[in-house]
Amino acid sequence: MIRLAGTRILGALVQILVVTLLAWLLFYVIARFTGASPAERIAGKTASPAQIALVAKNLGLNQPYWKQYLIFLGRMVRGNFGFSYVQSRPVAQILWPALRATTSLVLGAAVVWLAIAVPIGAYGGLRPRSFGDVAGRVLAILGMSIPVFWLAPVIAYQFGYEPTQGRLFGLHILPVGTQLFPITGYVDFGQNPAQWAYHLILPWVTLAVGFAAVYIRFLRTLTAEQLAEDYTRTARAKGASTARVLIQHVGRNVLPPVTVLLGADVATALTGVFFVETVFAIPGIGYTGLSAIENLDYPVITAVIIVAAVIAVIANTVVDIAHMALDPRIRHVPDA
Amino acid sequence: MTIDHRADPPGAAPVAARPAGLRATALRRLRRDPASIFAACLLLLLVLAALIGGPLAATLTGHSPIAQYPDALHSDGLPIGFFSRTLNATGTATNPHGSLFILGADQLGRDQLVRVLYGARISLLVATSATALALVIGVSLGLLAGYLGGWVDAVVSRMTETAMAFPNVLLGVGLAIVIGPGLLNVVIIITLFTWYYPARIVRGTTTATKKMTFVAAARALGARPRRLLVVHLLPQVYGPLLVYATSIIANNIIFEAGLSYLGVGVPPPTPSWGQMLSDAVTSGMYQTDIGLALVPGVALVMTMLAFNLLGDGIRDALDPKGRR
Repeated sequence: MIRLAGTRILGALVQILVVTLLAWLLFYVIARFTGASPAERIAGKTASPAQIALVAKNLGLNQPYWKQYLIFLGRMVRGNFGFSYVQSRPVAQILWPALRATTSLVLGAAVVWLAIAVPIGAYGGLRPRSFGDVAGRVLAILGMSIPVFWLAPVIAYQFGYEPTQGRLFGLHILPVGTQLFPITGYVDFGQNPAQWAYHLILPWVTLAVGFAAVYIRFLRTLTAEQLAEDYTRTARAKGASTARVLIQHVGRNVLPPVTVLLGADVATALTGVFFVETVFAIPGIGYTGLSAIENLDYPVITAVIIVAAVIAVIANTVVDIAHMALDPRIRHVPDA
Repeated sequence: MTIDHRADPPGAAPVAARPAGLRATALRRLRRDPASIFAACLLLLLVLAALIGGPLAATLTGHSPIAQYPDALHSDGLPIGFFSRTLNATGTATNPHGSLFILGADQLGRDQLVRVLYGARISLLVATSATALALVIGVSLGLLAGYLGGWVDAVVSRMTETAMAFPNVLLGVGLAIVIGPGLLNVVIIITLFTWYYPARIVRGTTTATKKMTFVAAARALGARPRRLLVVHLLPQVYGPLLVYATSIIANNIIFEAGLSYLGVGVPPPTPSWGQMLSDAVTSGMYQTDIGLALVPGVALVMTMLAFNLLGDGIRDALDPKGRR
């Protein structure tokens, strides 16, 4: 297992290297030919050619490309992501609060989608083709079909706004929106936990809908598979209650694949919840990245992409290793 | 915008003794499944809307998809609602002889119905061509990796893993800004973020099937690698690929709409669903007239629903353990 984990970590390091190389190529080299050079951006519009040349020299832009990449890589390793062109402060100072906001959004949403999906999925697997199962599956396929960038404004409209003149056939098809929850503003957990949760409820639910749909289907399939196995029949024959069979026996066997899926989804979500963050104005990674792209703030874009890729790679590695720990079968397979 | 292929654990690779028999069974099962029939009808409607719906509606209403009609806006700038006629010159009262806007007008006074029908074209065109391109790339790489194994497999596997590690929306938007907007660029960007799904499926199936006796038999009979790949190994992945293709098309429709929503998709004034939604939301106009967000949104949801239902139906129909 140690050897397997070691190979996995080595592979992850190579992946991170490739990602940084591609991000650097795209936003430091290619972008230089399509727009203004970094030196011109930093020196400003009124700078003389001599000043621009000086800035370029300080940035190391006159070095050969391979050397520039090594300098760039060295800075990244030390956590120095450079200076934002637009906000004129270190990128790291922009990035860490954003990461905190995205993490609160994603982890809260994960709790919501598990709370929705576990009971519905388990019930569907337990009683296939019952009314509850069919209803759950209809909800799941609807949830999968609703794009989050449509759901977000509709939820905001319904629960956050007081529409001044909602008109559809001259009347409201949906009941008039009520300002139950705020739809803008983000409060840090450290400042006020109650306000933090209050401001995040709508974003959590919005983000959770699509994931809940996927998890309902996944859990239903897994539960049904496990319930068809001999060991569950044995457990029942020995007199274990349905709840005990579901939690103790089925639950233990469903846990490893669900952990893997959850890890991968949380990792993907951490790399940017673009639409939810934009609609609800949460200053997270996705929001920061998109506004940086609008402003052509290349140091911030590059940093966001690299941090996102590093999170994804680390999370996938951790999940794989956790999977090995949770499921003894894959520990002993020679080429997993 | 991840494809949830993990939700449906693979292993449903139908290894059929007689492919024709399986195909007939699958078609029979599909015809008996009401959800699949419903999905197929929705898709037929969508294709009709894309092919003839736009021009037909434009001719019937006399509204071009990109023309702005100032008399479709109230004097305060609000567009007229569903089933409304255009307004009088002062923009305060409905003109009983004005032209009819069935789904209302958008914030620039353009006909929503005509635009949503023309938007179907962009959605379908981009999604199907990006899916086709992704399938060609993914299937070839996956087949080669699975069949050859060794370093080819290692390179392809690392490529797919690295591609999956990127935040696709952010990188897609960044790429779109660097290479510029346009229909072809949108297709290229979407392909870049989807080719690895088919590659992984095909690689997995091929690695498993190449060890089977029938492949060894074919090789013993003198089949060359190309014949082995095309005649023996490729047909084994049709089933799962068909299922994934439907979900990839669905996801690409969302991806295109998402790119347009973020302003880097197909450039305006060409109507696209994502752009219509974005216009309604970013202008804040949907807060007063939710219909602006409902029209493109419902079109998107119905399309997604059709593809998702059909994908489910095909998967169940191809399941060798299924009933009938």
